[in-house]
Amino acid sequence: MFNKYKPIFNSSFFLSIVFVSALFILIFISGVSYRYTTSLTDSSALMVHSYKIRSELEQLVTILKDAESGHRGFILTRDSLFLHPSLSIREKINKAFTTLRELTKNNFQQQKNLDSLNTLINLRIAILYNTLNISTSGAYNQDQISQSLVRGEQQTMLVREQVNDMIDFELMYLKVHQDLFEHEISLSPLYTLLLLLFSLLVFIFAYFKINKDIKKLKNSNEELSIAYEAINHAEEIGEFSSWQWHLDSNEFKYSDNQYRLLGHEPRSFESSLHKFLEFVHPQDRHILLESGDRIINERVEPTTVFFRVIRKDGQLRYFKSIGKLFTDAGQNKIIIGIHWDITEQHLNRISLEERNKELEQSNAELATFNHIASHDLQEPLRIIQTYISRISEKEIVNMSKTTIGYFGRIQASIERIRILINDLLLYSRTNKGERNFELIDLNVLLENAKVELMQSLEDKNAIVQADPLPQMNVIPFQIQQLFINLIGNSLKFSKAGRYPVIRITCEEVVNKNNNSEVVNTENRYNRISIQDNGIGFDQQYAETIFVLFRRLHMKNDYPGSGIGLSICKKIVENHGGYITARGIPDIGATFDIFLPI
Amino acid sequence: MLPNSINMQKGPIQVLLADDDEDDRLLFQDAFKEIKLKTEVQLVYDGVELMEYLSQEGAMKPHVLFLDLNMPRKNGMDCLDEIRLDESLKDIAVVIYSTSASDEDIEETFVRGANVYIRKPNNFNELKKILEKVITINWQYHTSGLNKENFLLSF
Repeated sequence: MFNKYKPIFNSSFFLSIVFVSALFILIFISGVSYRYTTSLTDSSALMVHSYKIRSELEQLVTILKDAESGHRGFILTRDSLFLHPSLSIREKINKAFTTLRELTKNNFQQQKNLDSLNTLINLRIAILYNTLNISTSGAYNQDQISQSLVRGEQQTMLVREQVNDMIDFELMYLKVHQDLFEHEISLSPLYTLLLLLFSLLVFIFAYFKINKDIKKLKNSNEELSIAYEAINHAEEIGEFSSWQWHLDSNEFKYSDNQYRLLGHEPRSFESSLHKFLEFVHPQDRHILLESGDRIINERVEPTTVFFRVIRKDGQLRYFKSIGKLFTDAGQNKIIIGIHWDITEQHLNRISLEERNKELEQSNAELATFNHIASHDLQEPLRIIQTYISRISEKEIVNMSKTTIGYFGRIQASIERIRILINDLLLYSRTNKGERNFELIDLNVLLENAKVELMQSLEDKNAIVQADPLPQMNVIPFQIQQLFINLIGNSLKFSKAGRYPVIRITCEEVVNKNNNSEVVNTENRYNRISIQDNGIGFDQQYAETIFVLFRRLHMKNDYPGSGIGLSICKKIVENHGGYITARGIPDIGATFDIFLPI
Repeated sequence: MLPNSINMQKGPIQVLLADDDEDDRLLFQDAFKEIKLKTEVQLVYDGVELMEYLSQEGAMKPHVLFLDLNMPRKNGMDCLDEIRLDESLKDIAVVIYSTSASDEDIEETFVRGANVYIRKPNNFNELKKILEKVITINWQYHTSGLNKENFLLSF
């Protein structure tokens, strides 16, 4: 019963996967972004670094140029103001070098370049001061100055070249690193975009999935509450209640109707086993507790117990309880069960049982009475008949004609009583419970019946024409009696002046519209028809003739007890069949026996 | 084998009837008086008396016992059981002599060891006929205890 919740577990598992994968994607994206940003920062730092180096280098050239042009101005004007920039040239160049050394400390090539640059610059400064010395010395020589100036210019060119080389190197270095960065981060934006789009898709999918699940959950919630309501009503109508006993937490919960069955308002007290036991009849409490043990220990089939409950209003009620142990998805052991208020059924059953017992008793009494009455009545009757036979043998010569007449009437009456008693005895025997069915050839039973009726058949010159009959599973002596009674009946009601001809036929028939309770069942019967050419009867009496003690004729015309055909009906019914009669006055009668195959 | 020798009996055939009905006893006696056979008829009134009679020391044991089934105090069935269990009585031919001839009674008495079953007739002539038949019967067949077809004797 707990399997029902499985799809929802699946769904939550799916959502976990979505969540975890989305989380991973986001962490990945964050990592990529971080790296991208770091690269950008590194790249710009490198650019700034390179720019600083270049500007420092340019600065060096500028310092040199400033000093050069100052010296040229002084040579031309002799104004010492022009010498001002060259006064701190050494300082400035050293400072710039310190900065450059610091900036290029990780670059061995540039350090080397710096060393050569230093040499070149020192030479240039030496030339600069040499030119100045020549110009300020007394032996002013135009050629010497020009020579020194040209040398200085050439040296400056060298410095310039070295600086340019270094700048080129720096630019190249920058370009190489820039390319590397670019290569590194060029794919990142596309990756990020794709991943973002992917995670967006995942989120959208998850959203729809969750939405669907919620809808489903809502639906099942609704169904659940409807089912709950339905159960509540059903419990109220059916006078039962359901309960759950959580063995691990020892919680004992019961439904609203449990309270009603106990005569309380729903949830008017805390539900517990202890509280429930208070309502159980003190003598029956052990039944409940023992059944609980049995359910826990044996846990095979649902266990049913019966016990009594004393309701709040003091009324005694009979309860039936069925419980079974279940283990839910969380391996919790729960006994789930139903309590049933079966007081009405119980009381009905008791009264029914009592009445049944009474009925059985009176039936047995009736059978005994019938048997004994028939038996004990026969004794005196037989004695009377025997004495009559003695008188009619010995004393008839001494009797008057009237006495002989009366005597005949006495004999006839006694014979009637005898037949009546015999038939009653037979009828009660037909009623009796013992019914031993055996497979037997009906032809044999018919022959036996004919032997029994031999005298009457001969007296009436009767002919019995019988088709071959089948073998059937019957109570032999009853079917034999049936043949005797029906053939005997035909003989008795034969028409004066016509030899009785009795035709017995048999065929298999299927009866669909029998008063069977089951629809569409085919009932197969052997129909045995016994047809005679006797006085027949009016069809309106076709039913009446089977009723006990009902007769259609005067006693004197056709003697009989009115039991014979009732016995026939009884016998056929004992076999699960039925008997019908058709009659045409003065033409004959036909009895149809339907015996199920 | 006493029953076999009934037919060759030199003295009168000893007949015993156990029946509680006075009329039946009277008619029984009358019938034997009219039968041209040398018989001596003794009468007992019920089962208890019958068993007392049979257990008397030195008393003449009957050749044929006619036993009614429906008797007060001790019925014919019980008497039949006792007789068949008693070694000294096993040679007595037991004829069930009853009003009824129900299948159950016939079956039951046959199984318990009765030799013949006759139904009390309701005509005196028939009574005489059937008693004569019982006495002159060839007991060979009826003591074997296996002949169920001939068990119910009719006139």
